[in-house]
Order: sequence, then C-alpha cells, then structure tokens
Amino acid sequence: RMEERRYRSVSGAPVALRRRQHSASCRELAVRCPRLQLRSLSAVSSAVWLAAYGLFVLSENSMVLSAAIFITLLGLIVYLHFVKIDQESLLVIGSLGIQVTSSYASGKESTTFIEMGQVKDVVINEAIHMQKVIYYLCILLQDPGDPQGVSEVVPLFQSSKPRLDCLIEVYKSCQEILEQRKTGPQSS
Amino acid sequence: ENSPAPLPERAIYGFALFLGSWFGFMLYLIWAYVPETWLFSLGLTYWPQKYWAVALPAYLLVAIGIGYILLFGINMMSTAPLNSTHTITDNYAKKQQQKKFQEEAIPALRDIPISEVNRMFFIPEK
Repeated sequence: RMEERRYRSVSGAPVALRRRQHSASCRELAVRCPRLQLRSLSAVSSAVWLAAYGLFVLSENSMVLSAAIFITLLGLIVYLHFVKIDQESLLVIGSLGIQVTSSYASGKESTTFIEMGQVKDVVINEAIHMQKVIYYLCILLQDPGDPQGVSEVVPLFQSSKPRLDCLIEVYKSCQEILEQRKTGPQSS
Repeated sequence: ENSPAPLPERAIYGFALFLGSWFGFMLYLIWAYVPETWLFSLGLTYWPQKYWAVALPAYLLVAIGIGYILLFGINMMSTAPLNSTHTITDNYAKKQQQKKFQEEAIPALRDIPISEVNRMFFIPEK
C-alpha cells in the first residue's frame, strides 16, 4: 500500500512524502527533495565562465578558460555526489530497528541503522537553526545507564527539512509502530 | 531600595561626570589642534604623538563595526546544534524532584519530557 502527498520544505521548496506499509509492523516513509533545476545550473556555470572570460581578457592566458571548464565540471560532479540529496527515507521495523537512508543525486546511498533497543522515542523537536526556529524530526537514543535519560539526538530529514504538517504525518506513523513494542510481542 | 528615582548623590555624580567629560573633550581638542611649538613654549612637552588623535577614533570605530559582526558570530556559535541533547533537556531538568500529586491542588511546575509533550500536541485524543 503506497501513498504520496505533496508538502513544502522550510525554505518553501516542494517536497513529496511517500508512505509505504510493508506489513503491520514495518513502514517506510520517504521524503523526496526537488531536483536540481536547469536554470540554477545554467546560472552558476554562466557566472563562472563569464568571470573566467573576464580574467582571460585581463591576463591573456588561455589556461584560465580550460581551468574554468575543468572546475565547473569537477564542481558539478562533487556537488551531485556529496551534497545534493535526492531522497531521504526512514524504514521503521517494529522490534528490529530504524533505518535511515539518504540517496544522493549521483545515485550514492548512505544508510544508518539504529536497533530498536537503543531507540527511546521519535519526536518532533524545535530548535534554532540559522536565524529561524524550525521543527525537525529526531530519534532519541536511550542512555544505557539512565532509563529516563537521552544519550544522543539523531536529527532526520536534514536536507529536505519538511514543514510541520509533513512531520506530523511521519510522527504519527512512527508512533503507531513504536507503541507496539510497549504492548509487547503478544500482540500481532 | 534600588529605585531609579533621582537622588542628591546621583545629581552630584552626574554633574561631576558632565564637567569631567567636557574637560576631557577640551583637552583632546587642544592636543589635536594646537601646534606643538605653542605647547612647547608653554612648557607642556610630554604629550603623546598627534598621530594618535586621529588613530584612536579610527580604531574605535572599526572596533565597534567588528564588534557587531563578532557578537553575531558568537551568538551563532553558541547556539546548540540540532543533534545536541541541549535542545531537549539540561542539568536543571535532569535533577528536578517530582512533587507528590495532591488532590484539588494545581500541579507543581515541572519540566515535561519531550515525548509527553509531543503526544499531547500531535496525537489527537479520541
């Protein structure tokens, strides 16, 4: 069963939330960011090449032009592979753990798995970020020494930064699965 | 006891500061504008270089400008990052004592854990 809905990110960009229910205790929630825009790519490369042409006119050295082309290409590859995130997804498997995956625009995927014993809760927290107060979803990790304590906070959806309405949907989905571990393994 | 109302002592302090600042300003103007030869002829030879009469105000203004940017930067640096536990709790909240619940009394003020707050806000009660 799959659902997709549109929301907005903190900066106003459109993001899409896709929800899949694999089974009663397994859900996958994926937030897809807007793709790289052709106009911003053209704007950046035109600006770099214009600056390089200006330098070439001043210095009469044609290496500047080839260097600019090389830098643009290398910069684009580095950006697509290390910076531009295409989709961030959360796979919650009750009684096993939570898997967080980030897929980059170049196809690279980086995953983190947190086992359910370490997860204290998944909450929506508010914090100050770059002169704004934003809501963000985060996983609270259990402190082994103190049952009430939080040892670490793992923020989720850091690149797509969806707004509160999207976060509430993700929160409710996660809580439905996390509640099952309190009622115990006897419930199906 | 610590009221901001005017008092005789405060009036005297204020007037002394007023006279002092006028005196300081006149001294600064004399030092900056009166030629060195005139001052030497009066016998006043031990002055700092007149270079400083222009340099110190310039330094002060640049320092104030940098101070704005520095304060902004210090604020940004001391904001807790999104992955720190300081956004969730702090030492006072961890050490708080639970007061016993009394019937018909207003519950005591306490820091409510974030999980409970989230449940109250985002999961609608049926």
